[in-house]
Amino acid sequence: MKSKWNNKLKGYVRMEIIGQDTSSFINTCIQSGIKIWDIKPLDSEHVHVSISVSDIRKAKAILKENKLKIRIKEKMGTPFLLKKMWKRNGFILGMASFIFVLFLLSNMIWNINVIGANPKTEYELRKAALEIGVTKGKFIFLLPNVREIQRQLTEKMGNVTWIGVTQHGTSYQFEVVEKEIPKANPTTGPRHLVATKQAVIHSLFVEKGQPVVTVNDYVQKGSLLVSGFIGKEKKPELVSAKGEILGEVWYETKVEIPLNTSFQTYTGKFKNKHYISLFGWDVPIYGISDGEFQDKTETLNETPLYLAKWKMPVSYLKKEIRETDGVKRSYTKAEAIEVGKKMAKKELLKKLPEDAKIKGEKVWQQKVSNGKVKLTMLYQVIENIASEQPIPIQQGE
Amino acid sequence: MGKLRQQVSKWMMQNLELPADVVMDLPRITMIGQLHIYIENHRGVKAFSNEQLTLKLKQGTLVIKGREFVIKTILPEEILLEGTISSVDFDDV
Repeated sequence: MKSKWNNKLKGYVRMEIIGQDTSSFINTCIQSGIKIWDIKPLDSEHVHVSISVSDIRKAKAILKENKLKIRIKEKMGTPFLLKKMWKRNGFILGMASFIFVLFLLSNMIWNINVIGANPKTEYELRKAALEIGVTKGKFIFLLPNVREIQRQLTEKMGNVTWIGVTQHGTSYQFEVVEKEIPKANPTTGPRHLVATKQAVIHSLFVEKGQPVVTVNDYVQKGSLLVSGFIGKEKKPELVSAKGEILGEVWYETKVEIPLNTSFQTYTGKFKNKHYISLFGWDVPIYGISDGEFQDKTETLNETPLYLAKWKMPVSYLKKEIRETDGVKRSYTKAEAIEVGKKMAKKELLKKLPEDAKIKGEKVWQQKVSNGKVKLTMLYQVIENIASEQPIPIQQGE
Repeated sequence: MGKLRQQVSKWMMQNLELPADVVMDLPRITMIGQLHIYIENHRGVKAFSNEQLTLKLKQGTLVIKGREFVIKTILPEEILLEGTISSVDFDDV
């Protein structure tokens, strides 16, 4: 068996020997050490024989001596296979180049993903990566390893805390954690602070500028609170006034609360009915009973069927029947006022800025008419009333 | 001389329990059913055809008959024959 593989590797020839005395040829071969095998006689004058390529020349000499003719039938084994393959070298070349191209393509960067960076950082990161050589179409095996790339990128990118580089096959992924740089305050031009609404000054906190009001002053909407002019009267300097002026502002809120209200609530019981609608006919398919609810609401969901963009005359209908419960609510006058106050406060809070504080509340008016309590509430609110007003710069000074 | 040697080897075979084929230069024939026949210690092919193989032995010939014979392997002292073997005969010539 071993020799068989050996023969295949070295190559052998299957040939036909034509002549009278074939057995003597076999004997001579054996004696002179030529290996022959698979000797198959066809008839008295034709014998098929396998012989190793290296022994062919010797065998031919013996055949000549014995006056035998040969005809080569088949050439087998690797040398012949290679020869055959070489003849079809285009094919081989194609195969080899395919493998080569596949190898190259699978070792190229196809994609670079950047995660967690804003567009500016991403652009800078891509640029930095390009400098290192990490771009689409580069060969991975020519690049430094992932850890090295990560180190170099982190070094290059100043505004980034950390860059994580991972390689997934042919794509690289950069995970970026950006440094949070505090925003510089925008520079502001010279300005005054003026009141946004009618108020009584509660307290003043002026960072910059010349306050022109004091605590408990009454100010109108638009009146000057802090001036942007500071310094001597003759030669004033312009500054950007800045500060927090808290003022007491009065808010009036009107609410109406009916004493008796009826509600509908769902009890949670429900029945679903399913229909198929054919040309306007609703055919029930599931859920026959209506649920025998006393009070109920029905909702109808229709799901039409479409074929491409055309609506079919068939649709699926689902009817939801929910049991409802009528609830009546009634307040006494005191209760109604209590509820009204809460409502009014809620409404007020919606209107107020976040930092505003409600200092006090008062029921201004209360009236009962037509089964309703009408309330007018007054609220004392402390809030920032300052707003900026730029000072126009005079030209040609 | 040859006769003496033969007698000695016969005696050795019988008394020293040495295998006969080694001592007496006889062919060792192994058959696997009708499919294979393996002959060691032959002295060459005398005649070979599809249905008959005649092998030279040290003494006489061995005639193997059958059908569709193919010599799978042949070495100076060994031969492996494949086919459908029907008979193996010794001819003392």
